[in-house]
Amino acid sequence: MEKGGKGYSLPSKGLKSSLKSTPANDASIKGKDDSSAKSKRGRKVQFNSEADKFDFLSKSNGKLDAPAAKGNLSKGGKGDRISNIGKAPSTKEPQPLELKVEQEIPKNAKCLMHCEASQILHGIQGQMVLLSRDPTVKLPVSFDKALHYAKTGARYTNPQSVRQVLESLKKHGVSDGEICVLANVCPESVDEVFALIPSLKSKKNMLTEPVKGVLDELANLKQQE
Amino acid sequence: MFFHIVLERNMQLHPRYFGRNLRDNLVSKLMKDVEGTCSGRHGFVVAITGIENIGKGLIRDGTGFVTFPVKYQCVVFRPFKGEILEAVVTMVNKMGFFAEAGPVQIFVSNHLIPDDMEFQSGDMPNYTTSDGSVKIQKDSEVRLKIIGTRVDATEIFCIGTIKDDFLGVINDPATA
Repeated sequence: MEKGGKGYSLPSKGLKSSLKSTPANDASIKGKDDSSAKSKRGRKVQFNSEADKFDFLSKSNGKLDAPAAKGNLSKGGKGDRISNIGKAPSTKEPQPLELKVEQEIPKNAKCLMHCEASQILHGIQGQMVLLSRDPTVKLPVSFDKALHYAKTGARYTNPQSVRQVLESLKKHGVSDGEICVLANVCPESVDEVFALIPSLKSKKNMLTEPVKGVLDELANLKQQE
Repeated sequence: MFFHIVLERNMQLHPRYFGRNLRDNLVSKLMKDVEGTCSGRHGFVVAITGIENIGKGLIRDGTGFVTFPVKYQCVVFRPFKGEILEAVVTMVNKMGFFAEAGPVQIFVSNHLIPDDMEFQSGDMPNYTTSDGSVKIQKDSEVRLKIIGTRVDATEIFCIGTIKDDFLGVINDPATA
């Protein structure tokens, strides 16, 4: 569920910017606004006159305002984080969005490079022709899309040798997920590698040389094909 | 990113499928049930590649159905936040553009398109730099970074950005 929330965070960014002025104004007009706005419903009787006062300020967007205020003020951290995610790519925030494949998938999963996936899926497609005597079994649309995607994304025809070359980065602490992204993206320069995979930046000094070597080898492989 | 993974599922089978073809029936039902579905944890189940193990069946009380625990290997596709993907643009509008990477839909908002690219309307809406050297339109290939994902029962939807170094158009259908 949390993922869903984050997925939506971007669209709401546009929304937020239009709302941004309202909580800010409220805050500057009355410092205590957010707390009383929250308690408004609960203590309406006691603060009736005051409640009226900012009702007229925020009635039109009162519904929207309350969550916005909550998001920005009471959970200020979260609001900030969302805007950071939005800006991270352009402004090099201290915590750029890092790829954390290992933490998000089960232990028994193995990352596949596009060229490997393409080989496997191709094999399955071949089998399906034989197995399709049963008309009720058919491959879903997503299979075709995935196969096409893997095929167009595959930069190399020989997954084993690519895997072998990239595997050498493992002893420098590069994770499986990062290796796969490297193979799929097929970067041309060392700078490109560190720009696209910010999680490697922390080990930049140590990795520059090996990455350079690997990129050269990959370029060789590609030429041979 | 694609993964090869072992998953487990309890399959319920009607007694009419029992007999010497039980295993085949079980496997074809499994394929029908799981291929093309998606979950937040594993992403899209693209294809089953093998059956590891089919456990002992258990008769369900009150019905004739029997439940078999089935362990199977499959190829899944799941986008990750922070992953770099190459995607094909499917639609461009003033809000941004939609792109497709395999079974996954990606939206890139105009806030996440470099500021020097302007929206141009017309019968082929596109985003173009002021000097016209770079153009994003339908069928362009772009390299983007995933910054958010949402998963529902049949679809994975992502938010992406091209506002960073080494991201953006990799191949322009108009010039190709």
